[in-house]
Amino acid sequence: MEEGEELSEEYSIPEGLYYTEEHEWAKVDEDGTVTVGITDYAQKQLHEIVYVELPDVGAEVEQLSIIGAVESVKAVSDMNCPVGGVVTEVNDELLDSPELLNDDPYGEGWIVKLKPSDLEGDKVRLMDAEAYRKHVAEAVH
Amino acid sequence: MPVWFEGIIPEHLAVRNAVGIFDTSHMGRTVAKGLEVEKFLNWVVTNNVSRLGPMEGLYTVMLKPDAGIVDDLITYKTSDERFFNVYNAANREKDFAWLKENSEGFDVELKDVSDEIAMIAVQGPKAEETLQGITEEDLSRIARFNLARLTISGLNCMAARTGYTGEDGFEVFVLDCPLSDPGKALSVWNGLVEAGAVPCGLGARDSLRMEAGLNLYGNDIDETTNPLEAKLRWVVKFKKEGGFIGREALQRIREEGVKKTQVGIRVTGRGIPRQHYEILDGDGRGVIGEVTSGGMSPTLGYGIAIGYVPKEHSKRETPVKIRIRGRLVDGKIVKSHPFYDDSVYGWKRERS
Repeated sequence: MEEGEELSEEYSIPEGLYYTEEHEWAKVDEDGTVTVGITDYAQKQLHEIVYVELPDVGAEVEQLSIIGAVESVKAVSDMNCPVGGVVTEVNDELLDSPELLNDDPYGEGWIVKLKPSDLEGDKVRLMDAEAYRKHVAEAVH
Repeated sequence: MPVWFEGIIPEHLAVRNAVGIFDTSHMGRTVAKGLEVEKFLNWVVTNNVSRLGPMEGLYTVMLKPDAGIVDDLITYKTSDERFFNVYNAANREKDFAWLKENSEGFDVELKDVSDEIAMIAVQGPKAEETLQGITEEDLSRIARFNLARLTISGLNCMAARTGYTGEDGFEVFVLDCPLSDPGKALSVWNGLVEAGAVPCGLGARDSLRMEAGLNLYGNDIDETTNPLEAKLRWVVKFKKEGGFIGREALQRIREEGVKKTQVGIRVTGRGIPRQHYEILDGDGRGVIGEVTSGGMSPTLGYGIAIGYVPKEHSKRETPVKIRIRGRLVDGKIVKSHPFYDDSVYGWKRERS
């Protein structure tokens, strides 16, 4: 096992999700809706998230376009949308409790839900858990 | 110094509510001595060092001839013919060269001692209590901005009742502690940690000084700002004997009036202001200035900023807007020195 892979064990990377190079995840729900958030690696890099900027419900977004921002005490990070579509729901809880992004990035810290416009086409530009694990290992290395 | 040990917010709150320590050994420090040291320092800094008694210090700035700020610093008089200057790490080489260059013609000798003395800031309402635990002498006798020779953890040190957080506290100088052999500094540091002090990083150092409304050189002041714009009129002694570098230019600026002035802004809408964000008038029609430091205040729970605007926009409660990532977010001019209520936080707080 390479050193980078060992280090990447510190980060939770669930199977079954789709990942971007910029450390966002997308999960396809049973009804076809896509839930989007930032990865465990992203939240650990940012540390202490104190502010989240969310898109409006109804906004039409393109794949990998900027849909908001996540800010820690020191840094601002753009949030790119892993899939294109129409925003159907935003996680308002994050406005008052941005720390949910640190505490539970794949659960309560979800950011938006979308109705995808071309999910199959978008998947080509996303990584599965195994590929993302290698991507993180390289970033850590 | 790392950006954080445990996290910026817990470290920040430790200093506001109890005690934190910072390794500030990277700061620039110079000893100036000689028969004309007082005369020399009065020429290079704007404040009046002649008012200092032995082991007293003051905050001041050094100016270029055009009144731009070379740096801000604290100068301590250790004896009639010896002063100790502490300035920003980023300006270490520049400042020493500036002092050296302007010392020509004065009977004065300068020595950069930055690498020979370690420096630890002990900050917070419990700073005195904590440092007292490892110090032989009575710390309560050291007044603000005064310096004392102390035995800390059994070692020869000096400590000044100063800091960069707005809180009560000390800056401890561990003497004869070269960079190559930091053992003495480590024993003071470990002694403080054992006594309950929280190790703090650069992140908390920045958020704490911002809440206190203290300038950061390179952000809020630099060679293009003058002390009248930067709310540092109080460190400029126009009438002191012999004048100082930059006095004529600053006098002209004073007569003509400053074009911009430093203000504090509280964000009342949603968003966090950051350095270089635009400040607009209350209607959001025109850009009136720029944020020089900004962030989320961990103590207050909202975004705060230091920036510069024209005088007519500088009155407290004046509404402004800040352009945050394309959006115009509401804010208003507030008291910024400090941003917090100083009867609740900071060294002036009412003790219960």
